[in-house]
Amino acid sequence: MAPIVLEGLRKVYPGKQPVVALEGLDLTIDDGELVAFVGPSGCGKSTVLRCVAGLEKLSAGRVIIGGREVQELPPGRRDLAMVFQSYALYPHLSVYNNLAFPLKERSVPRSERDLEVRRIAEMLELTPLLRRRPGQLSGGQRQRVAMGRALVREPMAFLLDEPLSNLDAKLRTQMRAEIAEIHRRLAITSIYVTHDQVEAMTLGQRIVVMRDGRLQQQGSPAEVYENPVNLFVAGFLGTPSMNLLTGRVSQGELTAGPLRLIVPGAPDGDMILGVRPEGLIPATGHDDGLCLEVVVSHVEALGNENLVHVRVSGSDEAAKALVLRSPPRFSPRSGEHVLVQVDPSQLLLFDLRTEERVPITGPVIASGDRHTVA
Amino acid sequence: MAHPMSPPALVRPLPDDDQTDGGRRRRPSPWHFLLLPLSLLMLTPLVWMVVTAISTPAEARQFPPSLPTSIQWSNFADVWTGSPFGRWLVNTAVVSIVVVISNLILCSLAGYAFARLRFRGSGLAFMALLTTLMVPFQVVLIPTLLIVKSFGLIDHLGALIVPNLVTAFGVFMMRQFFIALPPDLEEAARIDGASRLGVFLKILVPLMGPPLATLAILTFLSIWNDFLWPLVAIQSPENMTMQLGLSTFQGAHLTDWPLLMAATLMSQLPVIVLFIAGQRVFVRSIASSGIK
Amino acid sequence: MTSTSTPLAGTPAPPRTRPSFLRRLWWSDTLAGWAFISPTVLLIGLFGLVPVVWAFVLSFEHNDLISPGRWVGLDNYRKLLHDPQFANSVRNTVVYTLVFVPVCVVGALVVAAALNRRVRGITFYRVAVFVPVVTSTVATATMFGWLLDPDFGLVNAALGKVGVASQGFFRDPHEALMSIVVMTVWGWLGFGVIIYLAALQSVSADLLEAAAMDGCTRWRAFWRVEVPLLAPATLFLVIWLTINALQLFDEIFVTTKGGPVGSTTVVVYYLYVQAFQFFNGGYASAIAYVLFLAILAVTTVQLAVGRRFSYGGR
Repeated sequence: MAPIVLEGLRKVYPGKQPVVALEGLDLTIDDGELVAFVGPSGCGKSTVLRCVAGLEKLSAGRVIIGGREVQELPPGRRDLAMVFQSYALYPHLSVYNNLAFPLKERSVPRSERDLEVRRIAEMLELTPLLRRRPGQLSGGQRQRVAMGRALVREPMAFLLDEPLSNLDAKLRTQMRAEIAEIHRRLAITSIYVTHDQVEAMTLGQRIVVMRDGRLQQQGSPAEVYENPVNLFVAGFLGTPSMNLLTGRVSQGELTAGPLRLIVPGAPDGDMILGVRPEGLIPATGHDDGLCLEVVVSHVEALGNENLVHVRVSGSDEAAKALVLRSPPRFSPRSGEHVLVQVDPSQLLLFDLRTEERVPITGPVIASGDRHTVA
Repeated sequence: MAHPMSPPALVRPLPDDDQTDGGRRRRPSPWHFLLLPLSLLMLTPLVWMVVTAISTPAEARQFPPSLPTSIQWSNFADVWTGSPFGRWLVNTAVVSIVVVISNLILCSLAGYAFARLRFRGSGLAFMALLTTLMVPFQVVLIPTLLIVKSFGLIDHLGALIVPNLVTAFGVFMMRQFFIALPPDLEEAARIDGASRLGVFLKILVPLMGPPLATLAILTFLSIWNDFLWPLVAIQSPENMTMQLGLSTFQGAHLTDWPLLMAATLMSQLPVIVLFIAGQRVFVRSIASSGIK
Repeated sequence: MTSTSTPLAGTPAPPRTRPSFLRRLWWSDTLAGWAFISPTVLLIGLFGLVPVVWAFVLSFEHNDLISPGRWVGLDNYRKLLHDPQFANSVRNTVVYTLVFVPVCVVGALVVAAALNRRVRGITFYRVAVFVPVVTSTVATATMFGWLLDPDFGLVNAALGKVGVASQGFFRDPHEALMSIVVMTVWGWLGFGVIIYLAALQSVSADLLEAAAMDGCTRWRAFWRVEVPLLAPATLFLVIWLTINALQLFDEIFVTTKGGPVGSTTVVVYYLYVQAFQFFNGGYASAIAYVLFLAILAVTTVQLAVGRRFSYGGR
């Protein structure tokens, strides 16, 4: 168990059109921390993992595990263990021998090997399956054998490459809990790569959002969710994704369609206004710059809540589609005209051109209220 | 949809031995030390054949041998004029092409029928087919000769063609292919009202490219290079196939090595050229014959 | 007025009901099925099944293939048991097979492992190894007849350069069979390589990466992960090569014609001689059937052993 330091990682695939898979990645992972790398395909998250593992060679940068520089070492000598997306279990070996394989490679004596294998099998509930071959196991069982094979060596760090993506939804939820439990118990430094943001948010103590080979943002799940640094991160996390409207800031006042809001500290310019589905609520009554008149497209009733899909009526935002989360009792009909209200405390502003987050330094209020304050 | 006959795609590229990563420096891989001598060893018989084919008899008789000073084109001309070489080539080509085409058609039809159609007697017929696969050719050699004789085809190209118009192996192969195809396409077509033959022609034939190529290549190779059956069935030199003709040529010119090598070279040239041109298809065909 | 209708005399009988849809489907499938397979069944029946049975009958006859045969019961088979020439041919065939198959299989594995990489010029290397596969047996035999010529051949010249005496090869009773082995290994190695290459390339790259993560060097990963996964390919190759080795003929006919002194007479060659030089059609058929049974037995044993290995392997 050891901290992992990634310094200036860079990976370029050469060729007629060189592909930059990773660029300028700096990150420190604390001892025992589980960091989830998340992003769309091609964002570089798997590349990071494979470079740390040693399955690919870095073009530049250093990987320091437990104080030891490892980027020149072959994968077997970095004291890391990896769980592959396809599990990569040896089909010709029994479960027992799959688990014992890494220990055999390290010339661990047989009795010790046997103890270790049985201990891990016990922990992962694999004991009745020890004599079977991978071909005779279910997806979930294979996944556990893959985890077992990685754990049996008690590595310094644990690498997981989309370990749950081959499982069906129900199993995935179950295994997520098991992985969380294993991590809690063993507290091994882990890098977890996934494209599923729910997995990242629930398992990661810290999340790293990647895009096109670059780190976009890293922080705790709550931080990254509530304070995204740019439009990409804001849109990537959260289902359904954040609602976006274009608008303009002029002298501290934001105009976006019928919305009129005071945004202290925001510079002038074209902006994108973001508000998550939970930040849109059915209007309580009067129109004071916080409200939008919308037409309901359809309602998805999920049981515990409704997702109401609407379109902004009138103005040049005519085609804008928004989603709001509402309690089940709010269930308008398709085509109904409804008034919705923006929760000013959940508003986020992004520069239209740079897509960077624009900080707001004070409370956001409807500009209609200004008069009442004075 | 991955084609049932295509080789599996690699997940990641093969280990790259020659370059260091990033393409900075190119170190030749140590594997060349094994591969180069091996390849040269494998090519030696062929290369030496070429060398001898362009030598004079005197040069060939030199011991230890040395390279010829000039190309003796007359060897090739002599082969062509001194024997029915041209006829052999034509005969072999005709037989091969007819057999290949016939096999492509009959094996696909039969393979499809065994794979997809349910009809009385299909199980029995297929079992009978399988049993013939297990019997080595030498067992049926003599009776087949007698049968062919009774048709009056002895010493005739027909003797080489008719028994080979369809092979059990080909039927088996095509059946495997059809079994592996998902039935969705055909079912959709049948719902749209197509007849069995219509389904076959319009939906399946376009998909049959790769297995047909494999079948064509394997059948072609086996007929082109066949020796025992032509040896037994053909006597007159004008009706011989290339391999048979070559062996009689060899028997007649036992010590005229340059002439013999010229003949051998010319006999192998078509196939070798075809192979080098389409080696990917050839290799894939041969590889898939292992998937029993 | 009664409601039941009875056909009035003179009116035509009502038409028969059409067969149900399913029935028609069944008929059309049957028709189509037989239409599709009839030429094939006919041809394979005539040139596959009939000869098999006929050969069986022939093996119980004295038949010179010209005049009608004479039934002799198990005579031919009894003769085989005591025929020293047949025994010799069996011995030669077995020796040949026992050398040819392992050399070819092991050689193909090594070469395939070497060819399974991305080195510059790999296409050239691969073509060099594969081309012998498409050369015909006759051509191969002719080429090697020249290469191994005792007086003027390249091999003896090369041996002479390193101080080894000229060998007799095809003319030496002690070397002829092994020379045949060398020649046929040359011709078949590429086939084995193709099979093994395909098998090697189907080993998922993930498995090798996992082995790397588990601490294997490439060498160990090859032996502990790849080779066991090649077991099916190995089994296929052993069976296929054995069957072909037992049927060796062409090369013998072109080079040594069974000599010198019967040292390269193999079973099929003996069969040929019996049938087409001595016109003992019945005897030859008996030989053929014995060969058939031998191939069947050997293949069955190999399959059984092979199955054991797939499940029992560590």
